[in-house]
Amino acid sequence: MQQTLQKKSGPDLSLIWKIFVGVLFVYLFLGFMVLPCLDTLKSVFGAVPGDPLAVIRFFFAGSMPSFVINSLKLAVCLVVTVNVVGISIVLLTEYFDIKGAKILRLGYMTTLIYSGVALVTGYQFLYDGNGMMTQWLIKLFPMMNKQWFSGFRAVLFTMTFACTSNHALFLRNAIRGIDYNTVEAARNLGAKPFKVLLKVVMPTLLPTLFSLTVMTFITGLCAMSAPTLLGYNSINPEIVRLAGSSVADEAFPQARAALLSLILALFTIVLLTTLNHYERKGHYLSVSKTKAKLVKQKIQNPVWNVIAHIYAYVLFVIYMTPVVMIVLFAFQNWPAVRAKSLNVSSWTLINFFGTQDYSYTTSRGKQRVREGVISGVFSNSDTVGGIRLSFVLSALAAALACVIVVVAVNYIFKHRNKKRAAIVEACLLFPWLLPTILICYSFRTFFNGEVWYVLGQNLYYRENVRFLIVMAYTVVKLPFALRMVKAAFYAIDDELEDAARNMGASSLVTFLRVKLPIVLPSVLAVFALNFNALFTEYDMSATFQSSYGKSYAMVIQSMTAEEGRDGYNMNGSGRRCASTVFIMIISGLILYLVYGVGARDLGERLERRKKRREFWAKLTGKGTVKSGQ
Amino acid sequence: MIQLSDIVVKFDDFEALHNINVHVKEGEFFTFLGPSGCGKTTTLRTITGFIEPVSGTVKMQGRDITHVPIEKRNIGIVFQSYALFPTMTVRDNIAFGLKLKKLSKGEIEEKVNTIARKVDLSDEQLAKAVSQLSGGQQQRVAIARALVMEPAIICMDEPLSNLDAKLRVQLRNELKNMQREFGITTIYVTHDQEEALTLSDRIAVFNKGYIEQIGTPNEVYNHSATEFVANFIGDINPLNARAAEGMGLAADQHHFIRLERVHVNWPHEDGSYRTQGIIASREYYGLYIKYYIDAAGQTIKVIEKNDGINIYEPGDSVSVAIHPRDVMSY
Repeated sequence: MQQTLQKKSGPDLSLIWKIFVGVLFVYLFLGFMVLPCLDTLKSVFGAVPGDPLAVIRFFFAGSMPSFVINSLKLAVCLVVTVNVVGISIVLLTEYFDIKGAKILRLGYMTTLIYSGVALVTGYQFLYDGNGMMTQWLIKLFPMMNKQWFSGFRAVLFTMTFACTSNHALFLRNAIRGIDYNTVEAARNLGAKPFKVLLKVVMPTLLPTLFSLTVMTFITGLCAMSAPTLLGYNSINPEIVRLAGSSVADEAFPQARAALLSLILALFTIVLLTTLNHYERKGHYLSVSKTKAKLVKQKIQNPVWNVIAHIYAYVLFVIYMTPVVMIVLFAFQNWPAVRAKSLNVSSWTLINFFGTQDYSYTTSRGKQRVREGVISGVFSNSDTVGGIRLSFVLSALAAALACVIVVVAVNYIFKHRNKKRAAIVEACLLFPWLLPTILICYSFRTFFNGEVWYVLGQNLYYRENVRFLIVMAYTVVKLPFALRMVKAAFYAIDDELEDAARNMGASSLVTFLRVKLPIVLPSVLAVFALNFNALFTEYDMSATFQSSYGKSYAMVIQSMTAEEGRDGYNMNGSGRRCASTVFIMIISGLILYLVYGVGARDLGERLERRKKRREFWAKLTGKGTVKSGQ
Repeated sequence: MIQLSDIVVKFDDFEALHNINVHVKEGEFFTFLGPSGCGKTTTLRTITGFIEPVSGTVKMQGRDITHVPIEKRNIGIVFQSYALFPTMTVRDNIAFGLKLKKLSKGEIEEKVNTIARKVDLSDEQLAKAVSQLSGGQQQRVAIARALVMEPAIICMDEPLSNLDAKLRVQLRNELKNMQREFGITTIYVTHDQEEALTLSDRIAVFNKGYIEQIGTPNEVYNHSATEFVANFIGDINPLNARAAEGMGLAADQHHFIRLERVHVNWPHEDGSYRTQGIIASREYYGLYIKYYIDAAGQTIKVIEKNDGINIYEPGDSVSVAIHPRDVMSY
């Protein structure tokens, strides 16, 4: 058996450290992944002593299956609409020669920075009965139903445009990876452009499309914010409702919530297993040695060309209008926002900064003043509290997920091809199989009481719930972090480690000074993307339903509650628009840092630094900078 | 300098090296040559300490280092990929080992500058990221990083294999010059026989975990010890029974002749075997021409210097001459 000398030279302390980390890992895995879920499973079959199937019988005898059917209906319809729109936006910007494609692409990608509760409330603001967009549409189509934007239609419409982000990222990459020589070859063999698209281009996109379809289906199935806010009876909102209900109101609320989340888990597991199986087949990979860059295809038929351009710009308008409107309304005072009309004289920054008093006349003719009831995002205590809480919880969870995954992946790579590495990886991927709501619901019920596993603490009590939220955030983000960081570790040449060891570096020094700096951009990107997603997340904090864990998204969701009633909360809608602008800026900044700054290697950074110095030297007239310094 | 005695290396049940014995002399450029999976890199990694042998000893300057940790062996390594740290500048790459040795800043600066001058790296290049350098410059950085630690020997694991043909030849020359200048004992691993022949003082030819032959380039090429070495080094013609019989060679052996030792339309020489053949095809290389000649019931490959006059066309009838003293028999 071959042995390396490194093992012999390791100090005993490292063994103690390894045992400690191993025990901690097992403790966390069991406590925050396995036991809560088993508890949920138990609650379904143990609700009625001696009759394990009572809840299931009750479930199917009542109206509960309708929630499952509704979710399935939404998922199936979303797969169709998201794929139609998603494929369209990618083909229109990447494959066909459409004028203004760069601008169009920017518009289609706005969902990367404008999503979640902010997007749903924004759409609601613009498309509801007196929304600006609905008013315009009614002018165009007078027969149209004014209340069209509610229930299933509203959810489907909103989610269709909200869920194309993955197409904009991954399908775009896939289409850019197509070898143009294959297109040319097909044309040379006599295939017409549409035939080329159907027979040559689309088959190469199928694996990506299949993955996107599965992910869209799961998104539809697990939808939370859109059905909750727009009023659609699907699984997740019902789980949250049941979780907050008591046995005094209805039969087995918790057990039924658990059963719903298990049904969701079952669907997710089946779908992800199918996806995994398909991905492993690895079909339709390009075999070309030197790929030719894709050249955009001009639509030869002038009629189709015009139709394609009109279609592209209609989609652009649909994507961009909410963004533009929300930005504009964020700078309007409350009467203008309330009336949903834009007015130059109503411009204000009050939705962002500062407070104003509101004076009004009572029914008895008395003049009253409500102090500070018009307030900006950064001056409203609830909003600032939500931002602060979400910031801290998201940053902690994103950092924790990164630390766990980096340490684990380093271990996995050190012991690759060994069973223990595979086990660690499987443990970290485990949450991927479970719907987010099952994890959060399980946490909420399992830790609601004095639990022996956490030394008799009740983690669903007062401020403790924040710890629970951080753990839930972390667990949910582990699989994504693992996949990304693992991909980054693959980029580390084994010889780098050998070289460092040859020069006398210990395992820790090699990790800290050689490996970590290489994967750091990816780790920071994972941190930033996870933070971005968690900072505005709604589903998980809504499942916990705790006033101690009121996240920013929950604050946004409730921002317009009782707006203007008795002279309170006068500019709720304006503040919500301003919040959306704030989120868009944060998300945009993070994406820029991740994909712009973070993607630069040392060479590029040194080159930019040199140019900056040369620029400043030129500007200040202090002579030239020595190249490379 | 380096003495490997009866080295056996196993990976689980697979024995990768069987009783390897090598003695590398001081200042020598010694090459491990062989096809993929033959054990040359495993032997190198045993010397450098990344692999511990199941049995046998590794001695350096008379001291047994078989169980000495990697970092205490004082062996410099230039890796196949150069293994330059991409997140550090060239200067930081070279200084990495010195910093771990906790030398003073001044000492590190001086040593880095000295070695950089020797391998022809400018101050400007030292401030650059590795990715900003060309392949040749990266090789110099890798060598500088290994040499700055003042190792007793330097080991190179196929450092030219990732480069294109032209750069490979250019860097091969630079490598040899540098080794001569520093006079450092060098162990070089390659599967490229041309590289081994041009660079080495001595070559060990590996096959399936055994060493088939150790010798100078001339010895392994012209006096190949085994059939494997004869076939692996350079191109060669196996001779069939008819040709062997014509030359009076032993029937129970395999006989081979190098391409350049077969002559076309040569004047008669005592003891040589001559036969008539037809040019089947030819490959034009500029400096020389390679002919495929159907003769003595087989196709014989021949290399002829391109003198611009004696150039044969496919279908031409020619005489083929082989002298038995040039035949290698196993």
